[in-house]
Amino acid sequence: MFGKGLVKGLQITWKEFWAPKLTVQYPEKQHTVPERFHGKFVLDVDKCIACGLCANACPNRVISLNKQKVGKKQYLTDYQMNIQYCLFCGLCVESCNKDALHFTKDFNMNQYFYKNIPLVLVRREAPAEPLEEPAMGGEDQPKPKLKPQAPKEEKVAKPAAPAAESEAAAGKEGQ
Amino acid sequence: MLRTQEYVLNFGPQHPSTHGVFQILLTLDGERIVKAEPICGYLHRGIEKLAEARTYTQVIPYTDRMDYLAAMLQNVGYVQAVEKLMGIEVPERAEYLRVISGELSRLTSHVLATGVYALDVGGFTGFLLCFREREKMMDLLEELTGSRMTLSYARIGGVADDVTEGWLDKLNKLMDEMPGYIEEYNGLITGNEIFQARTKFVGQLTPETCINYSLSGPVLRASGVNYDLRKAMPYGIYDRFDFEVPLGTNGDCFDRFYCRVLEMEQSVRIIKQAIEQIKEVDGPVMAKVPKVLKPPKGEVYHEIESSKGIIGYYIVSDGTNKPYRLHVRRPSFINLGYLDEMLRGYLIADVVAILGSIDIVLGEVDC
Ligand code: SF4
Ligand code: SF4
Repeated sequence: MFGKGLVKGLQITWKEFWAPKLTVQYPEKQHTVPERFHGKFVLDVDKCIACGLCANACPNRVISLNKQKVGKKQYLTDYQMNIQYCLFCGLCVESCNKDALHFTKDFNMNQYFYKNIPLVLVRREAPAEPLEEPAMGGEDQPKPKLKPQAPKEEKVAKPAAPAAESEAAAGKEGQ
Repeated sequence: MLRTQEYVLNFGPQHPSTHGVFQILLTLDGERIVKAEPICGYLHRGIEKLAEARTYTQVIPYTDRMDYLAAMLQNVGYVQAVEKLMGIEVPERAEYLRVISGELSRLTSHVLATGVYALDVGGFTGFLLCFREREKMMDLLEELTGSRMTLSYARIGGVADDVTEGWLDKLNKLMDEMPGYIEEYNGLITGNEIFQARTKFVGQLTPETCINYSLSGPVLRASGVNYDLRKAMPYGIYDRFDFEVPLGTNGDCFDRFYCRVLEMEQSVRIIKQAIEQIKEVDGPVMAKVPKVLKPPKGEVYHEIESSKGIIGYYIVSDGTNKPYRLHVRRPSFINLGYLDEMLRGYLIADVVAILGSIDIVLGEVDC
């Protein structure tokens, strides 16, 4: 009989009409976001050793970082993500050996102005003196490494620029 | 002398029924189509070229962006090609997770195709009901991979992460409910007489044409050609599952649509079997692969059955950590090849019905 299918369809629609609502009124109510959600990034600055693995793993060259040598260690001075180019693939988070980079559940990264889009996770001045060095110096006294303390500061300032350049060069290779 | 004149109608690129940015120049005689000239490329991003400047792992997120409706299948096709090139053995658990997430991706794609097709021919309710289930599946995929559509879940040598606690049970529950939902789609869309009048015996394809034009996927099978790579050349672990390949008889729009509905049932079957079997398989989800992947010099071609048809990856390696050349055989693009002849002689109103039944996704057409 012609029209049987239409009646059946209407019955389904009628049933669905009384079914509980699945949608939520968004800004007031929100669905729960799962643990693994790929949202905004956070960087655990204390864990990060400024190795640059994450920047190299990124397919779209989103991450740029700068570092300075302070004492024996690399000191992260700048960690910026051009989030507008991010694919949210998670390769950077996966590549980090130190478990320093994480996703959060925050998906709202809207900005009014273009210049505010890049996500600056770290921006700080490198300390002139190595911070933890004196404490460690107590342990390994015999090593006369810390002797030329004063000239080191000059050295710090100079290699910083080539370091940044080599970083950029390494980046260009990926393009 | 009075005479009729042909005129050209622009269909798209900003037309909701082209499923993206796609243009067809229709030459019309009255309401009948004399010639149709598909123009694609509005969404071209040069993914094949981009891949040449990316390492093998870094290409994975770009494959998502081709057929973003079934991203996992694109991922799997690519990583399996690289694995074939390098001879990497994938852990069994990873294989199962690939099948589960891949079939779930296929389901999301087919559910969307079903719903959107209903919308194309004028049924809004069917569209909404299909999106209801798609939402549930995408929530599950989000829980597993962290993303809803661009999953980037497969890795060369395995998958990114194991399932979370209780995820398989949630999936099993949804798969139990799925036949009921498919029943609803059939009641609401398939059984609808108006829908059938719009789609039956419209845009018919003979098996010979399909084969000659290298069409694949539901478009091919709707014409009665039994060719599904999962059965014909089982890749991964597809030979362990018991499923059927649904076939059509007329090769018209209705058969292409209904083939997808039937394939959904088979995907549900595969997922349920995989859930049963994965419980016995423990172990890593990632093979031991070096951090820097340098496949040997050579080339490889690997194809799998995606939701739209056969997707093939051709990779040429020059021994460095980046592919020398990547080419993708995209089913949506190739299935579009016959559009001109398919549309000839039909009315304007059938254009949307025929185009919708091929189920293209423009990310893949333009690549
Ligand atoms: S990979 Fe980890 S430790 Fe290295 S720079 Fe990136 S966030 Fe820091
Ligand atoms: S998520 Fe992907 S694209 Fe985004 S910064 Fe990380 S590696 Fe780069």
